[in-house]
This record gives sequence, structure tokens and C-alpha cells, in this order.
Amino acid sequence: MPQQQTDEKPQIDADLVNAVINATVDVFKTMANTEATFKEVRAEEDYRASGDISAVIGIHGEYGEGMLALSFPLNFANLLVSRLLGVQPMLLSSEDRCDGVGELVNMISGNTKATLSLNSGHIYKLSLPTVILGHDHHIANRPKGAPYLVIIFETEGESFSMQVAFKSHNGTN
Amino acid sequence: MKVLVVDDSGMMRKILIRELLQMNFRESNIVQAADGEEAVNTIKQDTFDLILMDWNMPKMLGIDAVQEIRAMDVKTPILMVTTEAERANVVRAIQVGANNYLVKPFTNEDLREKVLQLVGELPQPTDSVGLPPQQIDLNTGRITDDL
Repeated sequence: MPQQQTDEKPQIDADLVNAVINATVDVFKTMANTEATFKEVRAEEDYRASGDISAVIGIHGEYGEGMLALSFPLNFANLLVSRLLGVQPMLLSSEDRCDGVGELVNMISGNTKATLSLNSGHIYKLSLPTVILGHDHHIANRPKGAPYLVIIFETEGESFSMQVAFKSHNGTN
Repeated sequence: MKVLVVDDSGMMRKILIRELLQMNFRESNIVQAADGEEAVNTIKQDTFDLILMDWNMPKMLGIDAVQEIRAMDVKTPILMVTTEAERANVVRAIQVGANNYLVKPFTNEDLREKVLQLVGELPQPTDSVGLPPQQIDLNTGRITDDL
């Protein structure tokens, strides 16, 4: 159930957050052989990714639309993608790194979408992932008025975040 | 045994090919396509024993490619390997002609099991030039199959 909304703070949709957390933990464990631990979630009016590389995917359907983004420090992205491929991090090309982070957000978003559809009966579709490189970058393609839900995870001493922004067509977040 | 791997993600194609190689498929028998359109064009020119097909791709979706492939009367087993985990999508894929379905993320064992179901048996191990393992009898000098 969504938490009670106040005048000051944007609403956090617990179903959405739980779906993202479960999908992220599952994808990291299955594909990268690492345990991602959920640390915190916060709603923010604006958000600047703290990582060096982000992969963004759009989600849309008859009920609403939004985006999901996964952001990493570059070294950690290298480590994870090397595990996806089963090669040493130093052997990765820039294309491998971008492709790998894109594939991770694709799998997380696909699982999240399936859970949301199962729980709500709403049908959603995903866009193809886009990858952004650069320190302290800003992801701006969220629906107007939708707050960012920033979900922080930790694994192997590194923090990374999933950012989610979603707005229903009837105006709720 | 020849396999067509269809996925717009170069990373996912590499992951799938790595797993196929571990199942003893030969690298020279694995062909890649980056979208449904390229897959259909490839199948017009070549025959395969197995097709691994993503769903969400540019130019032509995997589900549409499956439909086109079946409309060409190609009966090659098709395994959908996709993030589209909703039951309705699984049913739709099977209805248009996919033979089995694997949701990402998947384990090596998941993929191996699905592939095995579709091809019946996995290729035997071969050396780098495609010959079965052999040994030399040092007494007679004769080369014999190892298996």
C-alpha cells in the first residue's frame, strides 16, 4: 500500500519500490553473482546521478508512464559487466560496458513491469535502453511533475542507485 | 548443429554465445542477428537447428519475427529469451510459433535445459577443427575415437 502523502513530501509508491528492489536483487544475483542489499529509498524533486554511467529505460501503458534508471560508478560498472561476460574487467571495451549496463536495466525493468502487471492488471511496455556517460550527469526525461524515487543499494562495499519516476495518467505518482 | 542468436544487445548475444560454446556448439555454427528484420533475412538465406529470439528489438520485434519465420514455413525450434515475463506474452509467443520461453535473468542451467528440450541432444565435444576427441595408441600408432 502507498504510504500516506503529506503536503511537503512526494508520495512513495511501495508496490513500485518493492517491485524494483526485488527485480534488482534477482538480476544481480542471477546474472552477476552478487548480493545487492537494499539500503534506503527517498523521494526527491530533482536528482543528479552520483555515478559515472547510467542506463535509462522508459515504461508506458494505458495507466501511466515513467522511467527507470540504473547508475554506477565506472569501476563498479566494469566489475559487474565483466562478471556478466565472464571476462577480466581490463578486457572490456567501452561498448561492452555500455551494453552491459543497458542489459542490466533492461532485465530489472522487465521484471518490474511483469510484477506491476501481475499486481495491478495494467499492461505496460518498455522502450529500448539508453546509456549516459559522464560524471555527475542529470537524467531529465521523467514525466512532468513526477518525483524521483531514488533507491539505494549496496554490494561488495559499493553503492549504486535505481531511480524511478512514474506518473499515472490520472495524475497520481 | 547451427544456431541463430537474435538480440539487439551485443552483451546478451555474447552471454548466450558463451553458454552455447559451453554446451559444445561450435563457434563457426553460431550466427548473430541484432534485430528481427535481420533475423528474418538471415533465415531466408540459411538453415538453422535452433533460434534464440529476444522480444524487444528495433526495426522488428522478436514476436513479429517469429510470425514471419513461421509464415515462411520454417520449422526450426525457436526459444524466446526475453524480459517479457507476463503470462499473456508467453502465451502469445507460443501461439505465434515459439516453441519455448526463457525469461531474463536466467541461469546457465535454465538455458541449457531449454536448449536441450528443443534440440534433443547437445553436440558432442570436438577439438578446434571440429573433429571428435581422439587418442593415439602408442603401441600400434593408430588413431582412435576417444568416446
